[in-house]
Amino acid sequence: MTNILNCVLHYRKLFKKLNRGLQGNTDGRILEAIDVGFKYSNGVIVFDDINLFASDGELVAIAGPSGVGKSTLLRVLGGFIKPYKGEVRLLGKKIVEPTPKISLIHQSIATFPWYTALDNVKLGIKYKKLPKDEEDKIARKMLEIVGLQGFENFYPKQLSGGMRQRVTIARALAADPVVLLMDEPFAHLDELTAEGLRHEIYSILFNEETPLKSVVLVSHNLSEIVELSDRVYVLNGSPASVIGEVKIDLDRPRNPRDSRFQEYLDELYALLTPISKTVKDGKNA
Amino acid sequence: MVKMLDLGVTLFAILLTLSRVFITIILSIVTGWFLAYVAIKNKTFENVYISLSEILESVPVISFFPVVLIFFVLVIGGQLGIQLAVIFLVFTAVVWNIWMGIYQAFKTIPENLLEVSENYRFGFLGKMARLYIPYSIPRISANLIPSFADALFYITVSEVFSIGTKVFQVFGIGTLIADFTAEGDYTDALYALGILAVFTTLITFLLREYAEYSVQKYGLDTEERESFLKRGRIRVRYTARLYSAKSAISRLSKYLTKPPYFISRRERDKEDHEKRKIKLPNKIIGRGIGIVILVILSYLTYTVVSSVSPSTWSYIISTTPFDLVNLAYDYARVAFIALLSFLFAVFLGYYFATRPIADRIGVPIIQSIAAFPAPAYFPLLYGFTYSYVSSVLGPFTNEFYVILLGFVSTFYYIFYSFWLGVKNLPSEYWEIMKNYKMGFRTRMRRVLLPGTFPYIVAGLSSTINSAWGGLAIGEYWPDIFAGHTLEVKIGLMKAIALADNHGDLALVGWLSLIFAIVVVIYSILFTRRMMDLAREKYVAEEGVYAA
Ligand SMILES: Nc1ncnc2c1ncn2[C@@H]1O[C@H](COP(=O)(O)OP(=O)(O)OP(=O)(O)O)[C@@H](O)[C@H]1O
Ligand SMILES: [Mg+2]
Repeated sequence: MTNILNCVLHYRKLFKKLNRGLQGNTDGRILEAIDVGFKYSNGVIVFDDINLFASDGELVAIAGPSGVGKSTLLRVLGGFIKPYKGEVRLLGKKIVEPTPKISLIHQSIATFPWYTALDNVKLGIKYKKLPKDEEDKIARKMLEIVGLQGFENFYPKQLSGGMRQRVTIARALAADPVVLLMDEPFAHLDELTAEGLRHEIYSILFNEETPLKSVVLVSHNLSEIVELSDRVYVLNGSPASVIGEVKIDLDRPRNPRDSRFQEYLDELYALLTPISKTVKDGKNA
Repeated sequence: MVKMLDLGVTLFAILLTLSRVFITIILSIVTGWFLAYVAIKNKTFENVYISLSEILESVPVISFFPVVLIFFVLVIGGQLGIQLAVIFLVFTAVVWNIWMGIYQAFKTIPENLLEVSENYRFGFLGKMARLYIPYSIPRISANLIPSFADALFYITVSEVFSIGTKVFQVFGIGTLIADFTAEGDYTDALYALGILAVFTTLITFLLREYAEYSVQKYGLDTEERESFLKRGRIRVRYTARLYSAKSAISRLSKYLTKPPYFISRRERDKEDHEKRKIKLPNKIIGRGIGIVILVILSYLTYTVVSSVSPSTWSYIISTTPFDLVNLAYDYARVAFIALLSFLFAVFLGYYFATRPIADRIGVPIIQSIAAFPAPAYFPLLYGFTYSYVSSVLGPFTNEFYVILLGFVSTFYYIFYSFWLGVKNLPSEYWEIMKNYKMGFRTRMRRVLLPGTFPYIVAGLSSTINSAWGGLAIGEYWPDIFAGHTLEVKIGLMKAIALADNHGDLALVGWLSLIFAIVVVIYSILFTRRMMDLAREKYVAEEGVYAA
């Protein structure tokens, strides 16, 4: 009973916000963080006054040294934890709790060992309560998109790390997200596998068959960032703030040997260096 | 004046009982250190030791104790025999998981620390004092709470026991409260219970604090989640080590940082390799030991049976079909208690795991309640509620009390292990459940139950064992309160108690043997199967991958 009431109240609030958002003109901004700050219960402020957005069709990266608060920021963007100030908006609506519209991919490749690849993917659509065969169809299609056709009935244990990460991407895509949040998705893969997946990820994500509009990628691997992203926010300091924003204007596919690729790398390094003397393992390209 | 005296006597009784508890625990720890050391040095001994402990832990030894006790009192005899019997009785209830905890600790000492100790040529005592013992402290300390609860439970029961028509009794809080209750001195009984509750709560609190302290002092970060499944089955009381020890808050504070449970490839390979090597002989030895235990029990039975007239044999054997019916009834009760505890555990465990504040308050409360020995307060509970309950439940009243006793003495294990399992789920799983808007049922069915399956199996097996203990006490409890006798109509535990009461020791031996055979077979066929399945497929930690 109270649940229904809460829901009604909740949606009325959202509606108001949506109207405001539409009037307030979101500029094609899909996901937007406005003045967000996050504080742990011990009072430590991790970051403050962060403003950023991701537009339609954009892959935005967040770069920064280890421990600066990238993962924390990503979880605030997804509504997993609440900022102590500011707010996050999806299509103009304030985010108050996690939603399948914003799917999170973990660095630590989280699959469920008791389910096959197919069943793992289905977990992403359970919330829709679809008939079994439709669920099955969607899950199979997503596995196909990430290149795992033929591995539907394999258990995670029987798959390599790269394949498991593909499963989690398929699971996220199956949920019909508008935004995908990726927290160092390649960090636990060996270099060759990571390279392979990096090459494919862009076309996997921005394929025609999913409603995905933006991707936010967290990484401390700068060449990965230059290779993949359209725009980069550089996070640094304590409490962290956005100390720089770089637009990567290169055609795809991008070639790391390209001199302009190198220029972008240097620019990012330069942004990270001044403060990084306090942070030892800040960058490893 | 009288009150002062009572207070003194009560305190003395409590201290006496507690010292028995701690003597048993200390005995378990010290023997555990030496046996574990031998075990890691000698493969054959290791296999025997582990298999033996595993089987004995998964079998409710306590329930066929009449026969062992008879042996004890007959062979050693006298007041010493009785004292030893009491301690031994409790020893068998607490020793296995302490031994296993220590063994696991010794087994997981990092290579580099071992090398250091070799380098400096520490002798046996040096190695023990500087490396092995400190390294085992966190696990031991985390085992202390359930061991304490277990020991206290069985000590309060076993302070009075009867063999044949003879009652053996040692002074302690269990006997004191029983005496008060028997004399109708309920005020004093309650009063003594109150003081006991203060002690158990305080001790539980101190043990919690100590566990926390010892993890901080002796715990290695790398050890954290690593290998709780490493060898043999996982055990509730053992995995309890670190996670129970950490406060809920500090555990939650880890929520966003990188989870520490990455097992490096190399380590995992090493482990697999080792597992494969041990698997086969271990199984065979396990079976072998099961058989050896049966042989020993048969021998004990034989000494008992042969000490009585041989002509009783045919009579005894002729009771077997009825004994099996009795056993079936008891299995039904145990199943019911286990199911009840399981439901209770799942809902409450989930509730606590998702609400940090409730968790912080609720879990210590449950721990304190669990440490408060049911055999001591149950007669009073029975006395005060009987008239109401019997007016509602009529003919099922006694059945209700037996089940209740079973429940209060066992729910803790499954609750605690499920709660622990939920706590140990990778934080990623929680985020996924929230992210994809899974409802309570989906969460339970798809993630939480499978993800905690190994913990559930371990917890259920402990719960089932303790449930047998509960039945052994509850199915036949003469003069529980004001002349009432708590008894069920049909049940093997009752049959054993009755036979014991009538001095029909041969029958006691026979019934215990039947029970032992069934239970050991059950343990080998069912519990271990489930453990294997759990280890194979349902290890949540393996779902989070690090190459
Ligand atoms: N529960 C907590 N309480 C207090 N501080 C915390 C807590 N969790 C994390 N932190 C701190 O917040 C900061 C940000 O952590 P976060 O994991 O977001 O960094 P990161 O940029 O993702 O690092 P990495 O690149 O290593 O993944 C760290 O300095 C960390 O110590
Ligand atoms: Mg991070």
